[in-house]
Amino acid sequence: MSPGPILCLGGGGFTMEAGLPLLDAYALDLARTRSPRLLFLPTAGGDPADQIGRFERVFGSLPCRPRVLSLFHRADLEEPLEDVVLAQDVIYVGGGSMVNLLALWHAHGLPDLLREAHRRGTVLAGLSAGAMCWMDGGVTRSQGAPSVVDGLGLVGGSLSVHAHRDPERGRALRAAIAAGRLPGGWTADDHAGLLFVDGRLRECVAGRPDAKVHRIDRGPDGTLVERELPVRRLGPQERWGWAADEPGPSDRGGLRDELRLVRRMRAARMASGPGRRRRPAR
Amino acid sequence: MERANPRMDDFVLDLAGVGRPRICFLPTASGDADHYVVRFYRRFGGGATEPSHVSLFRRDRGAGAVEGDIEAHLLRQDVIYVGGGSLLSLLGTWRAHGLDRTLRRAWERGVVLCGLSAGSLCWFRDAVTAFHGPSRSVRGLGLLPYSNCVHYDGEPERRRAYRRLVADGLVGGFGVDDGAALVFTGAALERVVASRPGPTAYDVRRGEDGEVVETALRVHVLGSQVPTTDGVGAA
Repeated sequence: MSPGPILCLGGGGFTMEAGLPLLDAYALDLARTRSPRLLFLPTAGGDPADQIGRFERVFGSLPCRPRVLSLFHRADLEEPLEDVVLAQDVIYVGGGSMVNLLALWHAHGLPDLLREAHRRGTVLAGLSAGAMCWMDGGVTRSQGAPSVVDGLGLVGGSLSVHAHRDPERGRALRAAIAAGRLPGGWTADDHAGLLFVDGRLRECVAGRPDAKVHRIDRGPDGTLVERELPVRRLGPQERWGWAADEPGPSDRGGLRDELRLVRRMRAARMASGPGRRRRPAR
Repeated sequence: MERANPRMDDFVLDLAGVGRPRICFLPTASGDADHYVVRFYRRFGGGATEPSHVSLFRRDRGAGAVEGDIEAHLLRQDVIYVGGGSLLSLLGTWRAHGLDRTLRRAWERGVVLCGLSAGSLCWFRDAVTAFHGPSRSVRGLGLLPYSNCVHYDGEPERRRAYRRLVADGLVGGFGVDDGAALVFTGAALERVVASRPGPTAYDVRRGEDGEVVETALRVHVLGSQVPTTDGVGAA
């Protein structure tokens, strides 16, 4: 068994945009199974009702098995925490306060469970705090001004998010790398994602045009070396790519396109159609 | 913040002993749930107090919470009111932000500290929480050198678990029904109050012979003239 891939988003995804975002479809695709079990951890935001409601609306109608884990309502769990965390194909972590996220995870014993899930092949994904948490460290605004905070270290390197929108964070990251406080790493814009496989960057992807990723290293003389990385723009064909595994007639491409269209329309309707929303289960 | 019964809240404000107390709400244990914050302002926002709240999850969002120096703000309060929710989440978040130290400092300066459920358990040395599987005790802030178990009347499993833990050596303390409250001056129990007749608190400790002794405490029902004596006597 090889460790699962880790997808870190600089921002974007279902908690920040309507419909089924390409980056989220890409995350589900990484599970390489037809109906992935998908666990959402809204911990960093304090389990906010709006994030949970969006999750249920977007994923409730898709071919996956979505579930929300609330550490604020742990008494409602019907099985041990361990059984829930280790039974997933994808674990998706929402944004919010990275300091609180890690403090809560440590208080509830999550880090070891997440490491074990990763070791067993579960896809780990998330945006913002939910992306930086997997790295050696990141830059948080948990206390207002940007500050450096350590992550779980499942991926070597540092990460700063919302790069284009919030340049102050990037400055804090560069200062921390220059000072040796954090190892070299990346800045990611909203809608940009970094995919790590076996601890190495496999590719950068983007759900929208102009979402960029930069690599920043400390040179031998202590100065920073920075370069923009190539980013692959995701297209609608990335959605539900596992359909390609289906055996079928040679013209299955047409059928697949049609199915894709139906799914896309349904996803869009579920995410934005007034009056048809599922009520959040709280 | 009991619905349709303001007695406990009024009592807390009286403890502050000032005309228009500054009262700050910490909804951390609920993840700073919006509906809880709204409820706080509905209850305390009427002009008789100077209400505020601290959000440790929404610090960059300008959601009306205190911004800037949270410690200085908390130390200026007359009352700090801690909401219920998850004790582990509450303590983990506070410690990450250094609020454990800040609250101790506030207590030493005479700020009234109060709260319900997780917001009660947090002040004690040991707190009994219920998850699935065996109940266990969690280290609280330790301002009060006892153990605490809440919802004592509502959840029989908790009561059994608490007595078992005390029998096994957990420091003695107090089991408290919903609607009852313990008032401490320093670390000494001063009295037990209730917002209506019925709710009781119990002194739970390990006797010399190793048996757990549970003693119902005398309860003063708020709003009544004479302290009631229904609660007195061993249970």
